[in-house]
Amino acid sequence: MNKIVTIIAAVLFSILFYEQAIGLNFGLFALVTLLVLALHQPIQFKKTTVILQAGLYLSTAVLVFFQSSTLAITTNCICFFTLVGAVSERRSSIYVKWFNGLYSSIAGYFHRSFEAPKKGNPDVPKKEIDYWHLSKMVGIPMLFIILFVLLYKNGNALFGSLVSNISFAFIDFQWLLFTVLGYYLMSNISKPVRIDPGTTMDLETGNELLKKDLISSETQVEKDNSLVKENQLGTTLILLLNLLLLFYCVTDIISIFKISAENASEMSNRVHSGIYALIVSIVVAIGIILYFFRSDLNFYKRNTQLKYLTYLWILLNSVLVVLIFIKNQDYISSFGLTYKRIGVHVYILLTLVGLMTTFIKVLQIKNVAFLFRRNVQAAFVLLLMCSVVNWDKFITEYNLNQAESFDTNYLITLSDRNATTLYNNSLDSRISSSDKNRIEKKYHDYTIEMEQRQWQELNYESITLKTER
Amino acid sequence: MNIPKNLAKSCLLATVVFWIVLLSDYSFLIDALFSMIVSIIPIGITSSFVILVTVCPIFWFLKKKGESLKNACQKYFPFYVSVSFPICVYGIYSWGFETFSIAFFISAFITTSQSWVWFANEFGL
Repeated sequence: MNKIVTIIAAVLFSILFYEQAIGLNFGLFALVTLLVLALHQPIQFKKTTVILQAGLYLSTAVLVFFQSSTLAITTNCICFFTLVGAVSERRSSIYVKWFNGLYSSIAGYFHRSFEAPKKGNPDVPKKEIDYWHLSKMVGIPMLFIILFVLLYKNGNALFGSLVSNISFAFIDFQWLLFTVLGYYLMSNISKPVRIDPGTTMDLETGNELLKKDLISSETQVEKDNSLVKENQLGTTLILLLNLLLLFYCVTDIISIFKISAENASEMSNRVHSGIYALIVSIVVAIGIILYFFRSDLNFYKRNTQLKYLTYLWILLNSVLVVLIFIKNQDYISSFGLTYKRIGVHVYILLTLVGLMTTFIKVLQIKNVAFLFRRNVQAAFVLLLMCSVVNWDKFITEYNLNQAESFDTNYLITLSDRNATTLYNNSLDSRISSSDKNRIEKKYHDYTIEMEQRQWQELNYESITLKTER
Repeated sequence: MNIPKNLAKSCLLATVVFWIVLLSDYSFLIDALFSMIVSIIPIGITSSFVILVTVCPIFWFLKKKGESLKNACQKYFPFYVSVSFPICVYGIYSWGFETFSIAFFISAFITTSQSWVWFANEFGL
């Protein structure tokens, strides 16, 4: 029964994706995947985590229907691997789920071959299929038939012409191969595997930092001495770094208020140099904090001063992040939105999350695994949130309606998802006549492409366009 | 380890996979059969070289280490796949998704992975 379902799913995979653009097919494929997984792994599909992941995967497939953007597709693929990984081991961290999901999808069949065969009923002798003999039964006669056909072909003109006329053009071999690929994928995900010992290690690693066991009194004294020295070093270093960062932030605030009118290149330099400084300072800051709070210093009684200085440093780094945000926003309102400028905002948000999780790590004495897990989760949530937005349309609308100046060429070179918005705003006096022609051509090509879409490729925009006409 | 048997099976598998993928893009011609048979030689040399260089040393190492082969395969095969799969994907991408490159890299991935299974089966997994 399950095998038949897998075969049907493979055929559907081919029908949905073979030579098709992105659209409704992602949503339908998500339903097929869920059905296959639920039938093969009914026990796993009763667990809340797996149900949630399945819901998330389905929602992102719906997002692909509405947005059809690369970001939405990427998110959907990541959710697919997360779901498969969750079926494989639902308690693991999100990044382990990704590895397990990806690995199951590409090499699940081979990995399962290493697992010990399941013990059946010992009283019933297992019927073994001799595949080698079977392949010889098919292969050897076939080889000789082909050889003799080749020989006879030259012996008789009529036979030769008949053989030459043999054509398998009516069979679409690529479609068949695509179906085989679908079967391979479906068969792999139907029984997801887990990478060990990585998964076991992840399951055994909690979020709390544990105090090391007590040792002999002499070693304890030595250890206490080294802790005192490390605490002193940490306090001095972070105090000085706090002063430096405070000074930098003050000068940066003054510079923001002093410099008002700048050209694009000056502003670009200012934002980018700020970003580089931010990248280095945040990475080094988190590295230094992790070094000092890696082990026993977390449990040292006189670490209060160091902890407060660390909190202050995290706060000052957050101020630095806010300053960069202001600069970037200033840049955007003057020269419009671009993907790179949105990327800077995303980076700023992720940096803030990183600083917050580092703060929690020090405050609640957590380990590095906690930091890694929470930050990856935050990045994943942000990716999900970002894929909800049609960025091309958003950028176009913002630049045309809010920004002081914008680059029309940049807007035209964006994907077709802004074609309608551009076309509706093409009467803007700031757009040259040649650019207006380009916009019209873009819109025309886009509408034709949308109208020619097959049912698998339908998306929200194509349906809206069809109903409007 | 019965290396010659494994190499022979791998060569046959690689040839079959390579030609199946390659012919999917062209109409099947009976005259191509000669090329198929002759291609066993370069495909055999390539697949044998890859297996001898990338798969066999791992099994020799595992044998020397005396680790349980079942655990070892489950432990090291993911590493092998995590290296071989991106290489194959990059190869296909860098050759501009040409049918030849797709056929070559798909057959390489399947053959090397399957040779792991054959070697492991020899040890009674």
